[in-house]
Amino acid sequence: MGVKRSMKLIGVLALQGDFAAHQRALDRLGVASRQVRNLRDLEGISGLILPGGESTTLLKLLDSSGLKEAIVDFHRQGHPLFGTCAGLILLSRQVLNPEQPSLGLIDVTTMRNAYGRQKESFETTGEANFGEDPSLPMVFIRAPRIVRLGESVTPLASYQGECVMAGQDKVLVATFHPEMTDDTRVHRYFLDMTSNGSLSSS
Amino acid sequence: MRPDELMREAKEMGAPYDLVCLVAQTGKLPVPNFAAGGIATPADAALMMQLGAESVFVGSGIFKSEDPPARARAIVEATTHYNDPDILARVTEELGEAMPGLDIATLDRGALLQQRGM
Repeated sequence: MGVKRSMKLIGVLALQGDFAAHQRALDRLGVASRQVRNLRDLEGISGLILPGGESTTLLKLLDSSGLKEAIVDFHRQGHPLFGTCAGLILLSRQVLNPEQPSLGLIDVTTMRNAYGRQKESFETTGEANFGEDPSLPMVFIRAPRIVRLGESVTPLASYQGECVMAGQDKVLVATFHPEMTDDTRVHRYFLDMTSNGSLSSS
Repeated sequence: MRPDELMREAKEMGAPYDLVCLVAQTGKLPVPNFAAGGIATPADAALMMQLGAESVFVGSGIFKSEDPPARARAIVEATTHYNDPDILARVTEELGEAMPGLDIATLDRGALLQQRGM
């Protein structure tokens, strides 16, 4: 398992946002990563992380780079995607406050800026539904909320009874920023999805 | 540097020892570096990123140029693709005139913030 992980290359969408923090999280796990800014950067990666940032800006840059369609194709080929905060907004089926286009790769409705403005950002401890230790540190930065969860979406973590992390097929999303903590369990959960993906698709 | 050298540096700079250790270890401050001031072209923005800035802030460089919407789009693209010369060259085309430079010596006295020594 360890050997496989160290050979894996994970892409981090680097158009805008906190891609460097995700790369540091992957570094801590000994996993190689690559910044993805154009189509050719998608070649040879086992999974893609869509980081936090500003989702409207990210959408514009996804359009101009041609990456919007390419990421949908990448997902269709069976590769896992992981979106945090703005990354979740990009992956959602539906986006509110305001309504905006999205990739629609996970059946959730997401409300932007749902806790309020930047000064309403906070750090807390939530509950994980996966692994042995339910206590999971969470950093919410001008965070969105998942306001509707489709039937085939699995809730994976909660804060104050609300789902803040979820998965469906090969898509993992979180409203908080696991890359801003030293806890690597959420990233490990994603890496396990890439292992399973390569097994079933090969 | 050794811990005692870092301690001496911290004293000389009047900076917290923990912060000096962190910067020595990571090579940067633990906050994003915003580059601002005088950025007028996509190449300027890309240069700031190449020098290690995490973000670029542009005001006059866009609004005092000939075609602000086109220049704003180009500077955003240049900030994202700062290490890709092909994209930088492409987004720099057909932007019209950049923000003009101002020579301090030609400014009206009334436009100056202070006039000591004149």
